Amino acid sequence: MIEQARVDPYAKRRVSMLVNGQPYEGEIEARTTLVDFLRIDCGLTGTHVGCEHGVCGACTVLMDGQAVRSCIMLALQAEGASLTTVEGLATEGELHPIQQAFADCHGLQCGFCTPGFLMSVSELLSSHPDPSDDEIKDALGGNVCRCTGYQQIMDAVRLAAERMRT
Amino acid sequence: MSAFGDDIPRSLAEMPTSEIKYIGQPLQRSEDRMLLTGRTEFIDNATLPGMLHCAILRSPYAHARITRVDTSAAEALPGVAAVLTGEDAQRWTRVLPTTPEGWGGYCLATDKVRFVGEPVAAVAAASRYVAEDALELIEIDYEPLPVVSDPRKAIEPDSPLIFEENGHNIMYERLFTWGDVDGAFAAADIVLSESFRWHRLGANPLETFGVISQWDAVDNTLTCHGAFQAPSYMARGRAAALDIPSNKVRFIAHPHGGSFGGKGGGRGTDITALLSRKTGGRPVKWIEDRIELLIGGGSQAWDRWYDASLALKNDGTVTGLRVKLIDDLGANAEGFGASGAAKPLACFTGCYAIPVAEYDLKIVATNKLPAGPYRGMGPPPHNFVVEHMMDMAARRLDIDPAELRRKNYIPADKFPYTIPSGNEYDSGNYEAALDKLLEMGGYKGMRAEQEAARAEGRLVGIGVVSTIEPGVFDWGAYSIIGARGTGVPEGATVSIDVWGKIICRVGFAMEGQGQYTLITQLLADYFGVTPTDVEVIQPDTLSAPPHFGPGGSRLGVAITGAVLGAAGLVRDKLIRVAAHLLQQDVSNIELMDGRLRVKEEPEKALTVRQAAATMMSRADLLPKDLDMSPEATFVWSAPDRKQADEQGRVKGYLTATNAAHLAMVEVDRETGAVSILRYFIVDDCGTRMNPATLEGMIQGAVAQGVGAALLEEYVYDEDCQPHTTTLMDYLLPTVHEVPMTEKAALVTPSPFTPLGAKGAGEGAINTTPAAIMCAINDALAPLGVSAREVPATPNRLWTLIQEAKAGKS
Repeated sequence: MIEQARVDPYAKRRVSMLVNGQPYEGEIEARTTLVDFLRIDCGLTGTHVGCEHGVCGACTVLMDGQAVRSCIMLALQAEGASLTTVEGLATEGELHPIQQAFADCHGLQCGFCTPGFLMSVSELLSSHPDPSDDEIKDALGGNVCRCTGYQQIMDAVRLAAERMRT
Repeated sequence: MSAFGDDIPRSLAEMPTSEIKYIGQPLQRSEDRMLLTGRTEFIDNATLPGMLHCAILRSPYAHARITRVDTSAAEALPGVAAVLTGEDAQRWTRVLPTTPEGWGGYCLATDKVRFVGEPVAAVAAASRYVAEDALELIEIDYEPLPVVSDPRKAIEPDSPLIFEENGHNIMYERLFTWGDVDGAFAAADIVLSESFRWHRLGANPLETFGVISQWDAVDNTLTCHGAFQAPSYMARGRAAALDIPSNKVRFIAHPHGGSFGGKGGGRGTDITALLSRKTGGRPVKWIEDRIELLIGGGSQAWDRWYDASLALKNDGTVTGLRVKLIDDLGANAEGFGASGAAKPLACFTGCYAIPVAEYDLKIVATNKLPAGPYRGMGPPPHNFVVEHMMDMAARRLDIDPAELRRKNYIPADKFPYTIPSGNEYDSGNYEAALDKLLEMGGYKGMRAEQEAARAEGRLVGIGVVSTIEPGVFDWGAYSIIGARGTGVPEGATVSIDVWGKIICRVGFAMEGQGQYTLITQLLADYFGVTPTDVEVIQPDTLSAPPHFGPGGSRLGVAITGAVLGAAGLVRDKLIRVAAHLLQQDVSNIELMDGRLRVKEEPEKALTVRQAAATMMSRADLLPKDLDMSPEATFVWSAPDRKQADEQGRVKGYLTATNAAHLAMVEVDRETGAVSILRYFIVDDCGTRMNPATLEGMIQGAVAQGVGAALLEEYVYDEDCQPHTTTLMDYLLPTVHEVPMTEKAALVTPSPFTPLGAKGAGEGAINTTPAAIMCAINDALAPLGVSAREVPATPNRLWTLIQEAKAGKS
């Protein structure tokens, strides 16, 4: 803790990480948030900033397989980690089964919160291939959607789970 | 063709196809692949060469005089390109227009601040980080003034003044009397009266507002990219505020992450435009952060104090309604918030045949954030008041609340029906909707269940309510508060290329409602192609047809009219080509299933593609007076609209969607927390264009209704300091709070609209708060108390329960 408090927030630091399997490197101010590094330095603008306080979940990405809020993390805290963002889900023009299920079930409207939901669902289904409704709700409890009222998102998660099991 | 377009199909049967394939189907949205892969260009994803970043310094005081501004240290910070103050705003801009007039200021405060969060200065710098560093170096001295926090005191003659020059704080006051209200109340068997408090809440879209402005210092033109809900409307406003000819202002609306009326953005756009001007034309980006949205954004609405009375006969017939409203609009009238107090005229007496009514309205200034529009635009609190009064009547007369409503419904054979406040309901069948709802929910069984729960001492309640969602707004609806004009243009340009592919150009950006998908459905069925053969494009405001965009549950109906109107004009041109080539009279050719065929010999035909390709490539084969353009624009507006009459009555909304909701809740005696146990919905918005997107809109509005009833409140203290400054304080409903609802549809097509559709975008926000509050009060009824303050937070309900206990002991 004491060590961290001494870091000059303006000091330039080198940071490197894997994002969607590709190496990214940059020289940033120590105070740079992870989401700003991803969006501005890496140009990966699919991850969105909704509230800047870790409440809404729009900025959720996977760090070493775990869902994290990139708006309340410093980029330096992800040094050496392997990250997955929404850009890492679809491959060669094919939607990921979770994305496809969201499209099929109308699990999105404006789509701004959607990348965060997709990453949370991605984490859930990697550990719970057949989640109960309560488990889905627990996994999505940290993602706010202002448009859909969640019903079609719940449908999408169930459908994605079913498709990914078979 | 007239503005309404007499030629536009009024029903699916009038479409030029033998089989409707796409309209009415739960078609997957054309918007989704981009959104799901994170490739949609929301405004914060856009970057321009040489772009600077703006941060805005905001007032920490609710009411204070500005005595000194010193920006020198900020200007000296490396990376800072310009600092803007009220002095610049005063020099380069005009006072922002307001409704009502005379209650506004500049985009940056000049002599005094009137609310916490009011912009005072702004910085353009190399990054947002540096811009925010610079804000800390700006020195402002304030001399605090007495704060006006309670609108009930603000109307008193000795109140401190928000705008000294106006001499009082009442922005608008008027007593509307429609019919012999005094007579109805004098003749009533029973008069019921109650007071209500609806607290401020607001839109809070997940994406905040954002803009990039670029002022061309040589040509004096302005280009703005941003999350604009009504692009041309915003562009015209900026042209006026910044004193630039309107044809030199180009707005490019980006897809945006929801709005619900809460995108605001006028001030931010002006500020970035002026910063660009001050930096010699560099593009300047401002992304509103969440704190800025919560304390200074375009998001807050409906801060209201109500008194209501109902005149009643012993048999349950309601004979009159009085509503008195003090509406706290906050520190100025620049945000269209006053419209929210005017719109209830469109559904004043709800679904009921109440013959006379009175509206005693005061719109008052205080030192809170200026209120703006929010989904529903005003009726949701009004509907809650009316529905609560109906439940009071049912309780008083010991009639089932569903039956009391049934007794008072406007009968199905009385449409179109004009309500006392002047709006006309186009069509509906409220009793059929109620019957369907009660059957779906198993209403009798629910009541039995409730009895059993009550016997166990549980506080279980049922709310059954019916409301109107006024659809397809017209400016005339707001003429009583000073909005000018009649008619709201919505345009579409439809063109067909040489390969038979269809392009539709519209003026509004994607926002979430799926309107681009709707356009592909309409044109695919009209011209006999598939939805993927249709591309929807949104040009900038100088290139797009006249438009308004989403708002007032209007766009689905309006864009249907515009697209079908334009398609009809293109068809007429193609028919002329076909008639010429097939050597037939024009009157002998018709479009059907993508072919322009001879009516009597349908095997003789040209395809749409052949006709379009001929038009653009074989001028020698065209009739001499036909241009080479299979393209047409049509601008639709609602028919038969007018300004308000001398009594304030106005036919402001073309359609009246009806919804009936049935909610069962339980209130925890120990904590006051509410659980929603079951929720059923029947809605009737006429022809359903895409049932999947429609149900999504309804469910999303349920969520916002749950937020309104239980969670969402902008809290201000007596100094008008905001206490809800993050989403940890302002509670948006999550998947844990929103009920999964069971929905059914009734379809009573509108006789007045394209394809019989009715406005449905605002949806359940009109109904859910009333349904939940009525259910809560049904749960509390055995205790002899009722909740009349919204949101019904655990603390408020717990306090009521304690009061009931104390009263009994």
